[in-house]
Amino acid sequence: MNKTKKKRIKKEAVWAYVFILVPLCTFTVFTIYPVISSIITSFQDYKPLGSEWVGLANYVSTFKSSLFYKALKNTAVYTVITVPIAILMSFIISVMILPFRKGIQSFFKGAFYLPAIASGVALSFVWKWIYDPLPSGLLNSLARVFGFSNQNWLGSSKTAMASLIIMAVFAGLGQNIIIYIAALLGIDPTYYEAADIDGATFLQKVRYVVWPLVKPTTVFLAITSVINGFQSFQTAYLMTGGGPDNATTMAGLLIFNRAFKYFEYGEACAQALLLAVIIAIFAIFQFKVSANDVEY
Amino acid sequence: MKKKMLALILSAAMAVSVLAGCGSGADTNTSSDASGTAAAEKENGDKKQETESASGKKDVVKALLPPVSATYQEKVMEYVDAFNAENPDIEIEVTTASWEDMTQKLDVQVNAGSPPDIAFVGSDGISKYLDLGMIIDLNDYLSDELSDFDDNVLNYFRNGDGTYGLPAYCEVQCIGGNKEKLEAAGIDWQNVQKNGWTYDEFREAIKKGVEADGGNTSCYGFVFACAGVTAKDYFSIFVKNADLPASFDKDLKYAYTSKNMLTFLEDLRALIDDGSMPKELSSVDAGKRWNMMLTGQTMITGKGLSSFERSAYNNNKLLEEGSADAVEGSVPVEYIVLPVPVFQGEQHALGAVDGYICLTGEKNPDPEHLKNVAKVAYFLASGDRAANTCQELYLSPVCESGREAYAKLDPIADKNQSNTACVELLTTQIAEARPDIPAELSAKAIKIEDEVIVPKFQGLLSGEVTPEEMYQAIVEAAHEAFGAEGCVAD
Repeated sequence: MNKTKKKRIKKEAVWAYVFILVPLCTFTVFTIYPVISSIITSFQDYKPLGSEWVGLANYVSTFKSSLFYKALKNTAVYTVITVPIAILMSFIISVMILPFRKGIQSFFKGAFYLPAIASGVALSFVWKWIYDPLPSGLLNSLARVFGFSNQNWLGSSKTAMASLIIMAVFAGLGQNIIIYIAALLGIDPTYYEAADIDGATFLQKVRYVVWPLVKPTTVFLAITSVINGFQSFQTAYLMTGGGPDNATTMAGLLIFNRAFKYFEYGEACAQALLLAVIIAIFAIFQFKVSANDVEY
Repeated sequence: MKKKMLALILSAAMAVSVLAGCGSGADTNTSSDASGTAAAEKENGDKKQETESASGKKDVVKALLPPVSATYQEKVMEYVDAFNAENPDIEIEVTTASWEDMTQKLDVQVNAGSPPDIAFVGSDGISKYLDLGMIIDLNDYLSDELSDFDDNVLNYFRNGDGTYGLPAYCEVQCIGGNKEKLEAAGIDWQNVQKNGWTYDEFREAIKKGVEADGGNTSCYGFVFACAGVTAKDYFSIFVKNADLPASFDKDLKYAYTSKNMLTFLEDLRALIDDGSMPKELSSVDAGKRWNMMLTGQTMITGKGLSSFERSAYNNNKLLEEGSADAVEGSVPVEYIVLPVPVFQGEQHALGAVDGYICLTGEKNPDPEHLKNVAKVAYFLASGDRAANTCQELYLSPVCESGREAYAKLDPIADKNQSNTACVELLTTQIAEARPDIPAELSAKAIKIEDEVIVPKFQGLLSGEVTPEEMYQAIVEAAHEAFGAEGCVAD
């Protein structure tokens, strides 16, 4: 390599670092610093006017808390049920939308995506109206048509979690559908032609052509949805406040309460870091299991 | 090279726009979210204060205020202008926030170490600010001014020997009924307002208020908002009359482990089992229960505030005018303030005492500044300010200067005088404040209330937890927190 070329590469590398510097600074200030700060805080009794080091006390307190385990269990149940249902429904709806012409496709995409652009608070108002516990409530009126008795949807521990799951599934469909449709449009039509020649039925084409080819998308959606599910906070906060009898207290809500209700930032940080570790383990496990035969 | 320069400029512009969000957001008299701007506000505030004090100019006192009454946030600007004009050395800067944002906004600022100088909070919240060492003891800065306030109400802002806030009002939290329905059920509501009622009398009365056709109930005897955290209100307001006026007895033993609690829980559950209250009570939120009151679906509702008389009155006016703004399906309702029934012991009322606290984010704050802060807090809590706020809330002032100013105001039109007398009587029955309870014990009791009592109470209301199970859960949590010897055992 001659001297001029080396000089040119070096000069370009400097410019590259200059451009990287901007996102790097942002990442450092808004991600790295808070993470390090929360690790430090998790070993402290945080006070704005001077924190005290308490060693592992916040972690010990967390591990001793039965509410923490209950919140983890609730979060796991919520995630394990919500994610597969949401992904399967999105996939089915996307496959059903795909044959339509572009205008109709756009209409359905827009309709399903609408809840994603609505604020959580607005959505919670609508869903609270749907889940009105009195016989005059929308869902109760509908349930009565099918012979079911009146349900206290959000007020009973038997139905509160299911009610939140239904809400979460419908609220998250739009985004998944948009991503699935993009993936489905990316499948080369020659695969369908080859399947037609082989005499494949619609369901066989879905099973043997479409599903394997959108698997990278499914893996992506599954991992991101599981992460979002474990971080879930807003739905329980707005709809049930974690009740009844902590039946819908999620880990995110527990951490929020610990920090902002009781000002126990140290314990909140310890719980948040433990949750982050759990999410990371799940994500890595999921990636290892489901992404082995995926080609990108 | 030109392309690189352009790219660099665009990148820099992006970085600046990203970081712009961290810049000064100290927009006074706005309700913008302060969470990201607290630190910057502090820095700017400190600089401004330093500059002004160095040049002998104004000392800036910052206040974070919610809509205490319907027109409070408008009027407070007039009060501030008047104060600023009279006190050339002090300048009040007001930031307003909705009730929903208020606590969160304040807590974020407090935990960032940059609280406002003055904030409007409930007296039950002072223990957490006290624990952080950021709340100011007003005894050090006010003396004669403190004697302006009713001592029993001011006590709600006391802890130990310290006085950590000034009350703006004391709002009796009780229940309220629909006059027409009360009379139709044969309830002598005027007698109840004067002499109160026992649990058994109340239980029989609300049974009479139920209107049912077959299996469908069109009107309940009593509905209390209990969805989510509002269940705490139902528990807190009623438990005072179960001979449990505070969570600790005079010997500082945790009182909710008393057998009175078990009887109280059984009694509350019985009201639902009687069919006098909806079995879906645990999902009825504040909006829903008020809607049920105005649409004639309940005879009595809770929690009740004296200002609800005005809400009902305003809706009646809208109905008379045939306005579409009237609550859909509503009927004319004359709101009657009613005391909470007595389960055991004496009649007590729950008084929500809200007011102004003074905070500092510095380890060694300037005493002169704190003196000015206390002066502003007293200004906001007394005189015309107190009178106007209390009148709008249908309450009586809790300070002498407020009462004097109140007497000069035009009386409220069409006010139900029986309600006024009842609220005055209930105000005298407000449970005694307990400044003797140390902040540490208070904090533990609040935690038990939030993590055990409220969740179990929600379960009790929905029929999934028995009174015995709830009582046992309280006893276990209390023994863990205070030890068996620190709890009442009877």
